[in-house]
Amino acid sequence: MSHVRAKRAPIAPERVDLSVQVGSLVLRNPILTASGTFGYGDEYAHVVDLATIGGVVTKTVTVKPRAGNAPQRVAETAAGMLNSIGLENVGLERFRDEKLPRLRSLAATVIASIGGETPEELETLLRALGREPGVGAFEVNFSCPNVAAGGARYWADPARLERTLAQLKPLTDRPLIAKLSPDVTDIRETACACERGGADALTAVNTFVGMAIDLDGMRSRLGKATGGLSGPAIKPLALARCWEAAGAVRIPVLGSGGILSGRDALEFMAAGATAVQVGTATFVEPEASTRVLAEMRAWLAANGIARVVDLVGTFRADPAQAELSPARNGERT
Amino acid sequence: MTTRERAAERTRGRSRASTTPASRRTWRQSRARVVSQREYGASFRWLELELPGEFVAPVAGQFVQLLLEFPSPVLLPRPMSVASARRVRGRLRVGFLYAAVGAGTRALAELPPGASVSVTGPLGRGYPLHELGSPVLIAGGRGVAPLLMAAESLARTHRRCEFVFGARSAGLLVGLAEARARLARARGRLHLATDDGSRGFHGDVVALLAKLAPKLEAPLVIHACGPHGMLAAVARWAMANGARAHLAMESVMACGTGVCRGCPLPRSTEARARVLAESGADAAAGPPAALRGNPDWAMCCTDGPVFEARDLDWERVE
Repeated sequence: MSHVRAKRAPIAPERVDLSVQVGSLVLRNPILTASGTFGYGDEYAHVVDLATIGGVVTKTVTVKPRAGNAPQRVAETAAGMLNSIGLENVGLERFRDEKLPRLRSLAATVIASIGGETPEELETLLRALGREPGVGAFEVNFSCPNVAAGGARYWADPARLERTLAQLKPLTDRPLIAKLSPDVTDIRETACACERGGADALTAVNTFVGMAIDLDGMRSRLGKATGGLSGPAIKPLALARCWEAAGAVRIPVLGSGGILSGRDALEFMAAGATAVQVGTATFVEPEASTRVLAEMRAWLAANGIARVVDLVGTFRADPAQAELSPARNGERT
Repeated sequence: MTTRERAAERTRGRSRASTTPASRRTWRQSRARVVSQREYGASFRWLELELPGEFVAPVAGQFVQLLLEFPSPVLLPRPMSVASARRVRGRLRVGFLYAAVGAGTRALAELPPGASVSVTGPLGRGYPLHELGSPVLIAGGRGVAPLLMAAESLARTHRRCEFVFGARSAGLLVGLAEARARLARARGRLHLATDDGSRGFHGDVVALLAKLAPKLEAPLVIHACGPHGMLAAVARWAMANGARAHLAMESVMACGTGVCRGCPLPRSTEARARVLAESGADAAAGPPAALRGNPDWAMCCTDGPVFEARDLDWERVE
């Protein structure tokens, strides 16, 4: 459809330049692990060479430790899974004193995920962590579907997002990435609000709110009525949200949602994502992130694309088909 | 002392307390080949898989995540308790006892010899079979799987055990012949119980345990697996009677490796207090995994699946 997809002679896989830039942070390649699916990095360090993937997004840390939700916390559904973990984490103090030193020793690019019930809690986190060595960027989890306060609903307010990011921005010299919920009427509104507030990048998207009922007991298959749906079941939905968000802003977008293969990842990048996050796939296959990376490299090489950035945003909807075409799609280069 | 000071303290102490083996995380994902599957009665099946020689051999009570190849009717792997593990010509043979009850296990049951599956493991913490005392293995129904392996391990170290095996009825004492054969090698004694009295003692395993206990040399060390209701009863009996009990629990899981935090079990008040006291303890020098981290919930996959009776709140175990 575009100039990039014109037939080109294959090139050697090692010649493909996979590096991408997210704000001031240069990633060696676009493959990140999604928050909550890779622990604090060291859990998988013996099977995944963390120096080969683009980076690790850590489990969301909150000011106080959180015990998480009562069981059941996970339930498999068709081509996906529901989770209701409830942001279980060790809290700021132990994250800084125990997890960060270990992360620094891992040769990984670390993106720390932070979560808060209020703008003030996020400020507390960034005041403590914002200038710590070893953190390449911060992803602000504005989209947890499984907490009573400060979850996806609370943060779905564009004005609140904009105001909060403007407050957070001066507290760190690292890029701030806003992770968005797909469960909004128009993701372009939350995406643009984050950009206006000063976000350096967006992650699109977190899990979709979903539910599953055990008919025998007439109760939820989770401890709570609803949870967050992830896995290949959501890939087409996430791809559409990512495309809409990427078309509406000028800052980089990290695509996320059901990515299992290199081709899945490349679809997100063609739709406008600068990098992608591999999540649920890691539960199926601990080495999924490195396989996705290898498949991405092989496809780009076979198609003669020497720089992965040349693929970003190359998908263009036929204007006649583009009823949902993002508002400012034409402005992206 | 702040946690930062505690961390520094631990760093200083680490060199002298390097008790944790270097192989703390030894699990891998490997391709496995189906060697055989056979009917085991009462809709149970015995599956034998062959794994590469480098795969670390599981110990009794550990589990693996078994994943079907594409196209699979399910997305996630399934945690499977290991029932046997032995080396055959440099490779590892691992046996499983399972019931084909869901879409995943039904598809597994269809796999012919030679088919391949993916196995991640060994995962979790197994039974502390080295613990001193008179070993009593207690199995409920298909919970017999890890205890068959435990009996074999004890036999290898020439330790005699009592093997209490219970089920609702005689037909559900699956793997009975297997248990008999292993116990014969180990000079262990088999004690059967059925709820309906169709075989052995008429009653549940705890009633049978209470009857046997006075004849055994104290202290008893119980290793058990079965339905959670049964395990709760065993745990309560053990705590009331001065015995130690190690119970292999089950949970729905996603990752099986500790990262998804998807398989919580409620900690006891006592365990909660110990976790809080040890809060901030370092993995290399600190207490066992079960006492680290979350004071309210233990993860079945990495803190367990084998738990000591006093570490869980049996009132809240589902």
